[in-house]
Amino acid sequence: MMKTDPIGLYVHIPFCVKKCAYCDFCSYPYEDISWREDYIRRICCEISAYEGKKIKVNSIFFGGGTPSLLTEAEFRYIVCAIKKSFIISDDVEFTIEANPKTLTEKNLTSYIDCGVNRISIGLQSIHENELKSLGRIHNFSDFVDLYNLARSLGIDNINVDLMYGIPEQTKESFAETLNSLIELAPEHISVYGLMLEEGTPLYKNRDTITLPTEDEECDMYYLASQKLSLAGYSHYEISNYAMGGYECRHNLKYWKCEEYIGVGVSAHSCFDGVRFANPDGISEYLDVNCKKYITEDTDSTDKAYEYVMLCLRLAEGLSLSDYLSRFGVDFLTGRESMIERLCALGYLCVQGDRLFLTDRGFYVSNAILCELI
Amino acid sequence: MTEKQKHIRNFSIIAHIDHGKSTLADRILEKTRTVATRDMEEQLLDNMDLERERGITIKARAIRLSYTAKNGEEYIYNLIDTPGHVDFGYEVSRSLKACEGALLVVDATQGVEAQTLANAYLAIDNDLEILPVINKIDLASADIEGARREIEDIIGIPADECPAVSAKNGLNIEDVLEKITTDIPAPEGDTDAPLKALIFDSYYDAYLGVVVYIRIFDGRVRAGDKIRLMSTGAEFEVFEVGTMEPFGLSRCDALSAGEVGYITASIKTVGDTKVGDTITLASRPADDALPGFREVHPMVYSGIYPADGARYGDLREALEKLQLNDASLVFEPETSIALGFGFRCGFLGLLHMEIIEERLEREFNLDLITTAPSVIYKVELRNGETVMIDNPSKFPTADEIATAYEPIMKATIITPTDYIGGIMDLCQERRGVFIDMKYIDTERAEIHYELPLNEIIYDFFDALKSRTKGYASLDYELKGYKASKLVKLDFMLNGEVVDALSFIVFEERAYGRARKIAEKLKENIPRQLFEIPIQATIGSKIIARETVKAMRKDVLAKCYGGDITRKKKLLEKQKEGKKKMRKLGSVEVTPEAFMAVLRLDDEN
Repeated sequence: MMKTDPIGLYVHIPFCVKKCAYCDFCSYPYEDISWREDYIRRICCEISAYEGKKIKVNSIFFGGGTPSLLTEAEFRYIVCAIKKSFIISDDVEFTIEANPKTLTEKNLTSYIDCGVNRISIGLQSIHENELKSLGRIHNFSDFVDLYNLARSLGIDNINVDLMYGIPEQTKESFAETLNSLIELAPEHISVYGLMLEEGTPLYKNRDTITLPTEDEECDMYYLASQKLSLAGYSHYEISNYAMGGYECRHNLKYWKCEEYIGVGVSAHSCFDGVRFANPDGISEYLDVNCKKYITEDTDSTDKAYEYVMLCLRLAEGLSLSDYLSRFGVDFLTGRESMIERLCALGYLCVQGDRLFLTDRGFYVSNAILCELI
Repeated sequence: MTEKQKHIRNFSIIAHIDHGKSTLADRILEKTRTVATRDMEEQLLDNMDLERERGITIKARAIRLSYTAKNGEEYIYNLIDTPGHVDFGYEVSRSLKACEGALLVVDATQGVEAQTLANAYLAIDNDLEILPVINKIDLASADIEGARREIEDIIGIPADECPAVSAKNGLNIEDVLEKITTDIPAPEGDTDAPLKALIFDSYYDAYLGVVVYIRIFDGRVRAGDKIRLMSTGAEFEVFEVGTMEPFGLSRCDALSAGEVGYITASIKTVGDTKVGDTITLASRPADDALPGFREVHPMVYSGIYPADGARYGDLREALEKLQLNDASLVFEPETSIALGFGFRCGFLGLLHMEIIEERLEREFNLDLITTAPSVIYKVELRNGETVMIDNPSKFPTADEIATAYEPIMKATIITPTDYIGGIMDLCQERRGVFIDMKYIDTERAEIHYELPLNEIIYDFFDALKSRTKGYASLDYELKGYKASKLVKLDFMLNGEVVDALSFIVFEERAYGRARKIAEKLKENIPRQLFEIPIQATIGSKIIARETVKAMRKDVLAKCYGGDITRKKKLLEKQKEGKKKMRKLGSVEVTPEAFMAVLRLDDEN
């Protein structure tokens, strides 16, 4: 990959007001932690290590956890370090994840002042009971307040996260959530299926909760696809929808095998052709001797495998010519009959240079990938 | 009779399963001080893990003990342990043939049961002196007098003076030891006559080669002799003779009439030393062999395949190794479209089959896929030919068949009278023909049925146990073949026949089984990218149908954050799982699912 291509920068903020019942990300309740200051310093230290390398950055993403818990001073401190160490493009996409309950006008104003131009709000559902079962701390009106505030402060690129497969959720209640959101018309919507991850409270209580059946979950997935498409969103990735031109630049880097640097505990990077990560444990991360570790085998079949897996998450799919130039082999060769079969079954399409999954193919993409790679 | 002969006692211990045969053997070993108590491993004779766990004896064994009787004289006791299951009936009979007497162990809490009776009759047939021993008298529910009465009434041998023991606690074991001296006859036989020795077991030893267990009836054998096996005429040179001591083989100069011991010779495989055969000397052969030799033939066949096709070679090696010690195991390569390369294996019965499968999995660390067990059918074809069918895939088509025959067993069931009705229903359902019923006493009855073996191998024993709360016992032997309306049932997945699922079934039973298996296939086949029709057919006629709907969801919906490697690992794991799948035509099924379909856990 050309060194001159601008990269993405991810900053992980590992604290929340309270951890959600389904969350298996690295995050801690902020009142319990004593290392907040050390952590901010550690991140900045990590960022400074890239100083002088003239790395161009055209997307910055503050994720978590709940980055909207950062104080004005903390945020400014980190952004200063970033600006000092990287060359920030003029058209940078600068996203911060926000919880509707935590982001004050004062903080948002200062974030915007620092360059934030996109916010990503975790709404999940408009229904009280569903939010409660997920352990979320906000309600729909908190969300609407934040949404309107962001708009009033001039943010013209808002993402909203929705979830289906929530305990007690029905197709009807999910349709209501979708309808309410379509009315607000955010530029970008992510729709994720709830996954019960081992070690989470929801997983522990899985026998006492009523989850939608797999069939209902499938119905919800297709419902989102249908409603959002009708409302003018393009279904550009398995779980992501956007108005034209508002596809998330940062996430696209992940799916297109482009480079990014992640800083903070458990953050992953793909830089200089290598995938590596920081430790998952906070104390290991804070240790001055903390070492990043490489997360992959680096042989070329592995790279090709990864490339196909990621590209096929996108509606635009795989560029056959790009595959050929990257790996020196033709993707279709040896897979003709299988691809023909998958096309005949309506899961896959080959059009010109592009091989991509259909809407139906998206939702069984694992099974298809297992056939293809 | 020589002085030596007068001081030898050859006996075995026979019992119904779980009545304490091996525990009694342990106590006898202990009391004769052959084995110091501290060296005792529970159930010394059953030295295969599987035997200890299941509480059964699979291989015959022999051990030489010495006992000083109350008259002050020293005796040699040869204890010959016999396999304790109906599958090994012939081997049992040969082991018994090597003895003059048998201890018949009866559980004082259970009384006489089906195998007690079967084994006792076998001992009587072999002219053995039967010495009843009532065991488990330490248990609160022990009914010693009841057991005595049953032995006298049912088996018809006196039991008023028989020892009552607790093998577990070592109680009254001396009575048994003394009785062996007084009641069991010393072995007869002429030391100077031409050699006649009975083979009652053999096994393969990595250092010694084939070790043959023998009982000498006449004559004498020593190292260097040239021996001849009378069934085949094959001759071998004897390397070594000796006796079986508790902790291993012990060489001696010669074995003579009345003795039990082993020989090693230039014998390559255990298949050359058939149990029941007679050994004589090539230089001075006996006129005729000991009576009763016959070849044993497998009764049950099944296809055994490695779950991982790449381990076919390992499976072959494992089977070869097991066969070294088990000449009754037969196998030949077989190819299934569905399961790839494997072996069609023949077994003496269901237990034998289970044991082999378990040993393959345990001792050789193999994961197996086994097809439903099948019996051997005899089919007369329209062209006048008669064929024996051990594999459903070879079953002729309906228009080729003139008459099909299936093996019929004579079954003996002993049960508390409460369950007679349930057992009769079960036998009726399984196409049994009632022969007769005798009341053993007011509480128990002995029922005789003729049952197709095909029905017995289809989970009959489990059904019997569940309907009688485990109280009924079963014994059976081959009676002969009987004409029957048999059809071959095939299963199609996505329009293609899966050969490994085919089986032969009594026509009227076909519909029920077809429906059941189609349902099980539906439950066990994972949803795939396309809809899968399941059809059960007889010839071209479809008799049951189910559908596995196409998969709707199989996705990593949440693939954000930069941790690509973890997602990749998840996918690799899924792909790894897929590799283990067996392709049944265009349909992928896990070996577990395949086995689940064949598991015979339903009554129908």
